Amino acid sequence: MEYVVKTKGLTKNFGKEKPVTGLDMKIPKGEVYGFLGPNGAGKTTTIRMLLGLMKPTTGTIHIFQKDLRKERVNILKRVGSLVENPSYYPHLTAYENLEALRKILGVPKKKIYEVLEIVRLSDVANKKVKGFSLGMKQRLGIAASLLNNPELLILDEPTNGLDPSGIIEIRQLIKRLPAEYGMTILISSHLLSEIDQMATTVGIVTNGKMIFQDSIEVMRMLSQQKISLKVNNSEQAWRSLLAKGIKADYKDDTVLLSEHSNKKIAEAVRTLVQDGFSIYRVEEEKRSLEDIFLQMTRGGKEG
Amino acid sequence: MLSILQAEWYKLRKSKILFIIFVGPLIGLFLGLTSNLSIDVAINEWYLSLFSMNLTYALLFLPLITGILASIICRYEHQAGGWKQLLALPVTRGKVFIAKYVILMLIVLAIQLLYLGAVYVVGMIKGITDPFPLEIVWKSIFGGWVATFPLVALQLWMSILFKSFAAPFTVNVIFTLPSILAVNSERFGPYYPWAQPFSMMYIGGNTDDIFFVPWDQLLTVVGGSFVLFFLGGYLYFQRKSV
Repeated sequence: MEYVVKTKGLTKNFGKEKPVTGLDMKIPKGEVYGFLGPNGAGKTTTIRMLLGLMKPTTGTIHIFQKDLRKERVNILKRVGSLVENPSYYPHLTAYENLEALRKILGVPKKKIYEVLEIVRLSDVANKKVKGFSLGMKQRLGIAASLLNNPELLILDEPTNGLDPSGIIEIRQLIKRLPAEYGMTILISSHLLSEIDQMATTVGIVTNGKMIFQDSIEVMRMLSQQKISLKVNNSEQAWRSLLAKGIKADYKDDTVLLSEHSNKKIAEAVRTLVQDGFSIYRVEEEKRSLEDIFLQMTRGGKEG
Repeated sequence: MLSILQAEWYKLRKSKILFIIFVGPLIGLFLGLTSNLSIDVAINEWYLSLFSMNLTYALLFLPLITGILASIICRYEHQAGGWKQLLALPVTRGKVFIAKYVILMLIVLAIQLLYLGAVYVVGMIKGITDPFPLEIVWKSIFGGWVATFPLVALQLWMSILFKSFAAPFTVNVIFTLPSILAVNSERFGPYYPWAQPFSMMYIGGNTDDIFFVPWDQLLTVVGGSFVLFFLGGYLYFQRKSV
């Protein structure tokens, strides 16, 4: 598979602190990669290293199959980024901020109006950024990251400080970009719900280590619900179900059905009733992605 | 490289730089008009005027303004994540450093030329009738500019290093004030980098050389400290984590 971003054993030490240790990140082309982890897990440090703002202590970074150490400028020509808090020049207007960047990127001037339109800042293009709200600054940062038609867009907590409608706008924009422009997107967040709604691939990091990296479907599978049955004689009921070829587990005096289509559940219940068991409760036991995320990150802390 | 220079100038132009560029020549103008230096020796009156103006301008103002300019060109990068946005663009840090340095030197040159204009205006107002000593004035103006090369390099380094506006300014003041003493000392004066703008602009030095200070002094003191400060800042910026 073609990886747009590939890191190997990426490590950063600040003296005794190790914000990132042995991180292997793989981002396939055209994906929206959700980089998820609690605050202070090493997300921003990783992103800074990807952009060459910080040098890794050890490990390698390849972007577009090129070594970042050797071809940094060529790589960055094709990358757009927004790192942590929005960056801007307070003494310039929104338009002037983008113009200062545009001069270096060498894209046509009309691109400025285009990106301002995308993030809906056209009305305030000639106002000083000093007076902008956090959400407006954030949107300006996103506009800046789109200025050079990047093939890889790196957004660090892009919805920070946005109001709900702003979040929805940005979310829709991010979902649209891979399809319309063939962009690959790396988006970091500490909110699972955020990632769940945008990402196609997920990487979960905690304490500087990657603890999960796969497609969002695989992650969702982990959260699949189970049906639990409370029966007057659970153990016997369980055996009886197994005898009839229905998959089930027995735990803590309840019967757990791993199949959860309506049909299968109805079948299991009918079998038990016919066998003369009294069914007290049929309940759905749901593990949310949030639970899984918490469990994973907590597990990482213990280890 | 050109595009980085353009971007740097664009950002700087929009700050209050123009005001600062005019402060120097205006101070010169004020000094020139208020001084009443008179000697009984027959000497080109232009020299007299230039002498009184140069004292404060070259000794204090010029070294201090280099620091302020360097702080301004870095200030907006420090304020709200400008460094990380700038350095995540397809640029090398070396080129960004050089671009900022070149812009600063061009502004100092502009200030020197405006100062030359101020000298001329003072002469006109005072009604000096002696011929305008063009060659010497150029030596003084251009020489003063050359002498700021190492000072600007150090101040750029300090301004990148410190986020606050006050810290690099303090460094600058600490080094600039002793030059008042240094220029009076025959032993230390020639070797003190912050005293060089004054020495270079001081008319009455050896006029046979291209500048008012001997070549070997120029090369060792100005050249040496320039190499030291420029490389120091350049290498520091290469490693700086942003």
